[in-house]
Amino acid sequence: MRLQNKVAVITGGAQGLGRAISLGMGREGAKVVVADLQAEKAKIVAGELEALGADAIGVAVNVANETSVNRLAEQTFSRFGRVDILVNDAGVYLKSPVVSKSEEDWDKTLNVNLGGNFLCARAFVPAMRKQKSGRIISMASSIAHTGAREFADYAASKAGIIGFVKALARELGPDGITVNAICPGSANTSMPRSHRSEEEVMARLRATPLGHVLEPEDIAGPILFLASDAAAYITGQAYNINCGTVMI
Amino acid sequence: MNPVALISGGGNGIGRAVAHRMAAAGMTVVVADYDHAAAKQVRGEVVDAGGKADALSVDVAVAREVKALVADVANRFGRVDVLANIAGGSFYTKRIEDFTWAEWKQVIDTNLKGTFLMCREVAPLMQRQKSGRILNTASNYGITGSALRAPYSAAKAGIIAFTRSLALELAPEGIRVNTVAPGPTDTPRVMEKETPEGRRQRWHSAIPLGRTGKPEDLAELYYFLTTPESAAITGQTFHCNGGLL
Repeated sequence: MRLQNKVAVITGGAQGLGRAISLGMGREGAKVVVADLQAEKAKIVAGELEALGADAIGVAVNVANETSVNRLAEQTFSRFGRVDILVNDAGVYLKSPVVSKSEEDWDKTLNVNLGGNFLCARAFVPAMRKQKSGRIISMASSIAHTGAREFADYAASKAGIIGFVKALARELGPDGITVNAICPGSANTSMPRSHRSEEEVMARLRATPLGHVLEPEDIAGPILFLASDAAAYITGQAYNINCGTVMI
Repeated sequence: MNPVALISGGGNGIGRAVAHRMAAAGMTVVVADYDHAAAKQVRGEVVDAGGKADALSVDVAVAREVKALVADVANRFGRVDVLANIAGGSFYTKRIEDFTWAEWKQVIDTNLKGTFLMCREVAPLMQRQKSGRILNTASNYGITGSALRAPYSAAKAGIIAFTRSLALELAPEGIRVNTVAPGPTDTPRVMEKETPEGRRQRWHSAIPLGRTGKPEDLAELYYFLTTPESAAITGQTFHCNGGLL
């Protein structure tokens, strides 16, 4: 097990990719804080982790709310005493053309997707600095590179994450903390189903050069690698996982 | 039967560390190097550590040598699961007007043409297997360029684009092709030219993690790209440089 006794916090950890990441961390021996806006679902995933033999708690968090993020950090430290891995996966995905996009939707997307990275990093970095070690892994997206029609706010937030990660990597490198982003292509989760039919979703997921449907586990694997000691010299990167659909 | 990993430039530096990493994971490694004594040395180290290895000579820039190498590997093992193209080097640091045509060709051919030739010979085996992973080696200089290393930078940028094209060509057969881009790495070849102190002064302020890379840092990334955890990754460039770039 590569993450024995490490403490991992996964925001958005109760569903889709986040759930696969939470379970993967637990299988590798980490103690897991499943943090999600949906507290009940977070507790269910924590229960699944305990069934696997991992130590876990489910915690409610709104990553766009300072008080809520600080409470998440307090709960993490009071239960586990430290933090080694922060995975920023909480995000929203709201469809509308720019000309009719509401200010509320814009703010929500930027505050949750990008602002959440800032608030969570700010809450957990001091502890990582003290231990002179830590891993921050943020979920960006292929859409940061390609854009996506009617998801301009989402694209901007994800590209913003890449810039944030690169800057933070420079800031935290001297303290032995690595900061990286992952840019997944469209994956077999509920997210693409929010605005497309089931048939359309599956056809699009299969239409990749590898012909392989991108599953949550395909994204969790590289995140586990980045969280492990094997990736000690990798920082400031945005790694693409997309079955060959985007190469940049 | 163990998976077979063919590693060009496996006799030294990053290639040697990759040979050790793949062997530790249970692969039979074929250490191919221009320097046959170095290849044999690494074979001996791997075998002493309990792994399986073979050592073969090759100049990756010479088509008939590459053809003979791959035919030999196919005869011995019947398959190639992992091809790591690590043979290469910058050879010269000098201004563009001082490069001779022969020197230019040496740098381009060893790095870029060598990668092409190895892929051309190994891909048909992988296509028959309907599986395989190819790992090419670029450099941070392939993205940023480098004063005094124009042909090397051109070759490494070429490898990144070559990799993307080959990834698209081979994806339907389930073969993944990716590039690893090392930053400044403490290999014997580099360390011969620089003192540790000079190296520290040159790099440490530019690298957020505060140190140059070790061959073992890179070897972990090459290995990751051969595992099922990277099943959905092809055509990509993986920098490993402590945050330099």
